[in-house]
Amino acid sequence: MSRLLWRASRRHLTRHPWQLALSVLGVALGVAVAVAVDVAGDSARRAFELASEAVTGRATHRLTAGSAGIDEDLYRRLRVEHGLRSSAPVVEGWVELAGPPRRGLRLLGVDPFAEPPFRSWAIAAEGPGGAELDVGRLLTEPGAVLLSAETAAELGLAPGGTFKLAAEGRRHVVRLGGVVEPAGGPARQAARDLLLADLATAQELLDVAGRLTQIDLIVPPGARGEELLSRLRGLLPAGVGVERSAARTESAEQLTSAFRLNLRALSLLALLCGAFLIYNTMTFAVVQRRPLLGTLRALGTTRRQLFGLVLGEAAAIGGVGSALGLATGVALGDGLVGLVTRTINDLYFVVEVRRLELAPLTLLRGGFMGLGATLLAALPPAAEATATAPRQALARADLEALAHRLVPRATVAGGLAVAGGGVLLALPGETLAASLAAMFALLLGCALLTPIATLGLMRLCGVPAAALAGLLGRMATRGVVAALSRTGPAIAALTMAVSVTVGVDLMVRSFRSTVERWLDYSLPADLYLTLYDTPAGRFAVAGGGLGPETVDAVRRLPGVEGVNTLRHVRLGGSAETATPALAIELDPRARSAFGFARGDPVELWPRFERGELLLVSEPLAYRRRLVPGSLLRLDTPTGELELPVGGVFYDYASEQGLVLLPRGLYARRWNDPTVTAVSVHAAAGVDLDRLAVELRRAVGEDRRVLVRTTRGLREASLEVFDRTFLITGVLRLLAVVVAFVGVLSALMALQLERVRELGVLRACGLTPAQLWRLVTQQTGLMGLAAGLLALPVGLLTAAVLVLVVNRRSFGWSLELAVSPGTLLAAVGLAVGAALLAGLYPAFRMSRISPAEALRDE
Amino acid sequence: MSRRAARRTAALIGALLLLAAGAGCRRADTASGPPALSLDRLLGGAPAAGFARALAPREFRFPADHGPHPAFRTEWWYFTGNLKEPGGRRFGYQLTLFRSALAAAPPARASAWATRDAYMAHLAVTDVAGGRFHAFERFSRGALGLAGARRRHDGGVRAWLEDWSIEGPPFRLRAAEPGVGIDLRLEVVRPPVLQGEAGLSRKGAEPGNASYYYSLTRLPTRGSVTVDGQVLEVAGLSWMDREWSTSALEAGQQGWDWFALQLDDGRDLMYYRLRREEGTTDRHSAGVMVGPGGAARTLAAGDVQLEERGAWRSPATGILYPAGWRLGVPGEELSLAVRPLLAAQEHTGAIRYWEGAVGVAGTARGVPLTGHGYAELAGYGPPRP
Repeated sequence: MSRLLWRASRRHLTRHPWQLALSVLGVALGVAVAVAVDVAGDSARRAFELASEAVTGRATHRLTAGSAGIDEDLYRRLRVEHGLRSSAPVVEGWVELAGPPRRGLRLLGVDPFAEPPFRSWAIAAEGPGGAELDVGRLLTEPGAVLLSAETAAELGLAPGGTFKLAAEGRRHVVRLGGVVEPAGGPARQAARDLLLADLATAQELLDVAGRLTQIDLIVPPGARGEELLSRLRGLLPAGVGVERSAARTESAEQLTSAFRLNLRALSLLALLCGAFLIYNTMTFAVVQRRPLLGTLRALGTTRRQLFGLVLGEAAAIGGVGSALGLATGVALGDGLVGLVTRTINDLYFVVEVRRLELAPLTLLRGGFMGLGATLLAALPPAAEATATAPRQALARADLEALAHRLVPRATVAGGLAVAGGGVLLALPGETLAASLAAMFALLLGCALLTPIATLGLMRLCGVPAAALAGLLGRMATRGVVAALSRTGPAIAALTMAVSVTVGVDLMVRSFRSTVERWLDYSLPADLYLTLYDTPAGRFAVAGGGLGPETVDAVRRLPGVEGVNTLRHVRLGGSAETATPALAIELDPRARSAFGFARGDPVELWPRFERGELLLVSEPLAYRRRLVPGSLLRLDTPTGELELPVGGVFYDYASEQGLVLLPRGLYARRWNDPTVTAVSVHAAAGVDLDRLAVELRRAVGEDRRVLVRTTRGLREASLEVFDRTFLITGVLRLLAVVVAFVGVLSALMALQLERVRELGVLRACGLTPAQLWRLVTQQTGLMGLAAGLLALPVGLLTAAVLVLVVNRRSFGWSLELAVSPGTLLAAVGLAVGAALLAGLYPAFRMSRISPAEALRDE
Repeated sequence: MSRRAARRTAALIGALLLLAAGAGCRRADTASGPPALSLDRLLGGAPAAGFARALAPREFRFPADHGPHPAFRTEWWYFTGNLKEPGGRRFGYQLTLFRSALAAAPPARASAWATRDAYMAHLAVTDVAGGRFHAFERFSRGALGLAGARRRHDGGVRAWLEDWSIEGPPFRLRAAEPGVGIDLRLEVVRPPVLQGEAGLSRKGAEPGNASYYYSLTRLPTRGSVTVDGQVLEVAGLSWMDREWSTSALEAGQQGWDWFALQLDDGRDLMYYRLRREEGTTDRHSAGVMVGPGGAARTLAAGDVQLEERGAWRSPATGILYPAGWRLGVPGEELSLAVRPLLAAQEHTGAIRYWEGAVGVAGTARGVPLTGHGYAELAGYGPPRP
């Protein structure tokens, strides 16, 4: 009996290959997007971990001092005067190979004499070129560096060969002294992106003579270690702190967690689309076969067997779809990883991903999600198939009546889900995960509300459709209502799929328009002179900026009416754990660059300039729960500094957050007179291009400096923004593809099922042309319904993403911008896909003779 | 003794390579790293061009010559001694500091870490009664004040590697590791003994293949030794060797047995036997006999008889070392039995060799005689893997 059942099932599926293929595709796409996002995120994180491990080695702790760096004499004092021998100096920075291909490498400067307890570098005595490694030359020759054998081979370099690289905005020619062969495993991976050099060489390449990035320590566990640490803290000068080596990875993890959660949420939206499509497919497969299922029940098949049959089919579709989805997801992840890395590099820290990380857990999760979502989506139709009495199951009319009876129930359930989601959102101080859960509840609720909305819409469309297309028009709208068991789930699924694309698109546009508006007022000067243009170089080591004489030279230029100076600085901690800060001295005209979320600028600015308070950016305030009046403690080279937070300003440049310090205070407490950016207010009528040339001249030979107009800087900033959101754009595009496939598959299946009905119509005298019109009108109507219903749902999704999720992940206040273009495009997408879906069925129906279509009778 | 210096230079550079190679393991025999380079090739790799060479006898000036001679590629300060605690407990110690130049020209670079000198130091304390041998090694660049050697204002020397230091004369030696250390003051009571031809110690036929070499063979010593965290007052005699050169190795030589013996009759005897690969004594083997008044007489290879008595196999490295000798100087009617105060005095760090305190018993012109000293046995191990 059960073999017979399975054969019936197989026959049905193979007789509807389109339906089968499209439902498998739906699952596969949903899984692929989710897996791709995870794989890309995992790869970026793993690359960072590996790089950290390679740099951290066996160190347990490290001494750091933010961008002030550590005076190298501290290392000598610790070792020579205090006998602290389990220490190793490190100078670390980011350099770029001049290329081609351009490629970033982490420059690690170490002292080979202090290294052995910390890091394992096996230096191949013989390089690939057969040249012998000369350690003496590595130490004594300026610009001698080591690469991993793999990287050297990739770049076509042999030991002894020279190559060009850019570090901190300067170009250098370095010589490959030899190749490193780490012991293997992770270290080997990480070494591929390392440029290893003697500490002296690294200091010179990075232009940080006299300074160390960090001093690594091996502190024994237990009481002895505690004792050592407390002794050590007593020896450290102001501004230098001890942090655990693991803090760096943890911090990087924390920094990017919101970003990755957001990506995952977007990918889950895609999977949700997929799940709706699966639900639609399975429901359709069941209702389509009600006569068959009824016959089987009448022949003695038990409810359990039928239930198992439907779920078995779902499992098969889910399994195949998930497997395809996993494979596609990995391939897609390979493409996405570059985008994810770019975003991370722009927003957080520099990492170079060279290998795709396929965590078994990620793949397992993707597979389970696909299979689970399919089975879950198949549960209601399976339950429905088994719950009905055999005789009822044979009657289509009963089914439709039942479907209509279910509408009020679905409406109530949907209303409850929406209300629940709303309450969850309204609760104050909720976590990001709760907001995402709320968003999914809202979406589900909206999906349940679509049948009633569809009925309403069809009633509305009935009159104009009848007026425009007469009988056929009325048939089209009535057909949608009459076949609610089939059209209801289809329209719900389509609505969800389209609304997700609307939501994500509106979110990105809102974000961009907010940033654009922010850029409009945050760039009040006419010309900008900035040091470096890379995130890695944004925080030059103290003293490494432009000197006061350069600023004076700029101030004295004719045509310059006012000057603002900025000094980017990292406060405490290593590159990943530090707080970014900006020491500023502003012309009163430039104060408008800061818009305050909290605090009154008129009152704040004078107090800020007197050094009585600090200003913090919105993300920092959110992250650290700072409000005006909170005390912020900063470690400076001249001792601890504690000041109240005066106000919170809008800033969309750094997700990590930013502290504003008055320049005078910074110069005094950090002993650093340099700045990293100068902006200039030109006198009226001054030729900005000429002034830019003169600014360049005033700066002299410093090749690190970029001079840009307001427009140039604005464009560059938006370019970074667009690059950052490219990944979101790609995800949106994928959601669009899923939605499109969904509309196509659902409606095509629906029309293909109407063979008999249309055969009757043909037999009654409907011409093939009229049949075309009827089919396309009906699919078009359904597409229109889905597109229209998707608009409010999409707006709701966007509102939640913009006003709640982004705020809770990053602390940014964004303004919701509704673009009519997006809304029109969504409706167009739905209608276009729907019309396209009608083409093949209409074509087929018009080709076969009515007799053939009615042969079933 | 340029063999010794040369070997040390080679070893130092080799150690540098291993350090760089690391693999987190100080012991080369377990390092899964790079193929070893032969010492000869390493030495050949460090070009002598640009360095000064020992071509002719020079005038030594003290204390200035205790200070560094940066024009030469290699130099070392080498202290060994036998000490006794008031209770009679015996200790041997060794503190050596090596400088090896990696390039002839001093660096003209922006970074204070830039250097052309690498430093290596060894500290060993032999606790004879406790049967324990504590040995440590350190490496550093000669930059940033981490390690270096300079002439002091009073003309003496300060040479250091982190917190291990040699200062004098009179010399103060300070070096400590957790639980083990020395802090000693060494009096200079005899003039320096110039080795070889007025301090020019020739090593081969090629001109300049020689070193400048002098010794302070008897330095009354007081201070403290720390063992197992216990600080003990000690007194005894120390021996200092100083040498600088830009020499190259000669083929055919395998290693050496070096003895610095302080006899109870006030005489000091230094002898090194260079062993050739075929097992014979190299004709460049030499020594010196210093009388109680400080008068020195050079000993040629033929003036000394040396026979091995007994052997010891290191459990750590598996190397078989001689563990006792019969040393005779027929011209002085001197016949001595030399034996290690402790068998296990092997350095197993980046460089493997045996260097340890020895006891001496014998006769001089028929009169019984005892003494103490240090022996160094190098070149016994198989080449490094």
